[in-house]
Amino acid sequence: MAEVVLEDLSFRYPGAAADTLAGLNLTVMRGEAHALLGSSGSGKTTLLNLLSGLLPAQHGRILFDGQDVSQVAPWQRGVTQVFQFPVLYEAMSVAANLAFVMRDIPDKQRSERVAEIAGKLGIDSVLDRRPAGLTLVQKQLAAIAKALVRPGVSLVLLDEPLTAAEPEHKWQLRQTLKSLQQELGATMIYVTHDQTEALTFADRVSVLHQGVILQTATPQALVEKPVHEHVGYFVGTPGMNLLEGIIREGGCWVDGIRLAAIHAADGPCKVGFRPEWARIEQRSNNVVDKATNTLPVVIRGTRTLTTSRGQSLGLAVARLGESEVVTRQTLTGLETGAGWLSIDPERILCFRDGWRLTDHA
Amino acid sequence: MHDNRAWFGVLPVLLIVSFSAVIPLITVVNYSVQDIFDVDTRLFVGLDWYRETLRDPRFLDALLRQAGFSILILGIEIPLGILVARALPTEGRRVGLILVLMAIPLLIPWNVVGTIWQLFARPDIGLLGSFVNGLGVEFNFTANRLDAWITLLMMDVWHWTSLVALLTFSGLSSIPSAYYQAATMDGASRWQVFRHVELPRLKSVLMIAVLLRLMDSFMIYTEPFVLTGGGPGNSTTFLSQYLTTMAVGQFDLGPAAAFSVLYFLVVLLLCWLFYTSMTTNAEEQ
Repeated sequence: MAEVVLEDLSFRYPGAAADTLAGLNLTVMRGEAHALLGSSGSGKTTLLNLLSGLLPAQHGRILFDGQDVSQVAPWQRGVTQVFQFPVLYEAMSVAANLAFVMRDIPDKQRSERVAEIAGKLGIDSVLDRRPAGLTLVQKQLAAIAKALVRPGVSLVLLDEPLTAAEPEHKWQLRQTLKSLQQELGATMIYVTHDQTEALTFADRVSVLHQGVILQTATPQALVEKPVHEHVGYFVGTPGMNLLEGIIREGGCWVDGIRLAAIHAADGPCKVGFRPEWARIEQRSNNVVDKATNTLPVVIRGTRTLTTSRGQSLGLAVARLGESEVVTRQTLTGLETGAGWLSIDPERILCFRDGWRLTDHA
Repeated sequence: MHDNRAWFGVLPVLLIVSFSAVIPLITVVNYSVQDIFDVDTRLFVGLDWYRETLRDPRFLDALLRQAGFSILILGIEIPLGILVARALPTEGRRVGLILVLMAIPLLIPWNVVGTIWQLFARPDIGLLGSFVNGLGVEFNFTANRLDAWITLLMMDVWHWTSLVALLTFSGLSSIPSAYYQAATMDGASRWQVFRHVELPRLKSVLMIAVLLRLMDSFMIYTEPFVLTGGGPGNSTTFLSQYLTTMAVGQFDLGPAAAFSVLYFLVVLLLCWLFYTSMTTNAEEQ
């Protein structure tokens, strides 16, 4: 397994007006489970194909353990891939599929390796069968085995490998993948548009948007400190709330109410906060109190997600001027109508031109 | 009881099928066991005509030629069709145009195909014939048996390889690109890609291609009739042509009917053999 480094990697399809990937820099450590998270059209597939060598690199470099592999053929790079649906040689048994990618290895070593990997993935019993007779999950496990079986694999690419699986099997497959990744110390890059998959699988996640990596961070950091509006909005269910605000007098203000302190140049900004960081309350006195950091809102509705000890927990949706705000909180006693939104001032994030303004006071 | 009325819905189909297939077939079977002199004079002869046909050296020769012809054209057209299909571009504006051009031979009436090749291969004025003779190679399909066969095979290959290529092309285009990508990443050679990725997925279209070409070539009549008239000698006389000579030319209705039934059974048997062997093969996998 290798350390994978992208250096200023760009790519433009012939005849296209704009770069599909623009100046990517990324280091994936040896043995790291890395996820590339992005919506469709973000350039995920192009990046995958550049990593595997199916597309030739045009600009920038790809390094495996410090060696430039940008111009090396896929097979020589030692990159393997698990696809969205099980891709196997259908006329061969599962064992023959695994052996095929190790054709340059002595017989004895090869069969030992097949048995070892099949054991780890729990597909020993179907080794002699052809893919056609297997369930979808078994086939995808076989495809995963095929990607991992070859000794000297430098990088394993996973292209939304759970897409075809039934919801009840997704969890099991993801656990299997995760534990195998840790056990083998495999460098894996998991490409997906599904944030749950990315956040639960990966040590670190890169958020790809319109051909640019916006942020590479641990799942926790992506949730708590997104560097870009899009990351805040794209990660999290539901995503981050973004309100039009203004920075002046060392603080950020929304609708004439100061919400938090911030050191930044005066000017308009977007105020972001996660549904978990805010709550809506109702109280008898409806007079606006400019001294507190609470905003008057109109509650439109609630959605219960769980109930515990008589308390219902879920989402509250409210309107604040033109914007919609979602909070995740106790719903008990909350009715549609006027309410007050308070946001944890320690956690409020301000964005300008998309990017987060750092340096909280 | 009530539900059984639905059977009346099947009646029109039964009627059409009986008039188009069953009744004519039974008529032929009826003729094949009689010696017919004229409308009122018929003799029941049992299986005599069948015995006679099976002992007829001209029938056996024609059957052998027929089998040889079918095996040869399958052996050329199937691999050639696959090669052509693999060489076609898979996307772009040119694809549609190429497919239309390739389909042209399939749209030409069979006797026109025969006429085209009759003229094309003529040793005196034909483009092909006079060119080959000009090279110093003696070529005359009306006099030389080998030349007649070569011309006939070329004609059939020209006429029908497109069909195999088009079927194969449709089979190839249904293979998801991920299979090719995976094979590239596995370092598979071109041959391995064909053998392990494409061939298994072409099995069903190739079966259709083989069956169509086998049945069609086994019943070939018009093109050799126009091109060589079965000659020189009987060297390109296939089953259909012999049968026509017998039934229409010589008006031997009884033997011709027995011949027809045997012919039909042979075609049926061949198709059944092919179909079962290829489907069981597919099931094993």
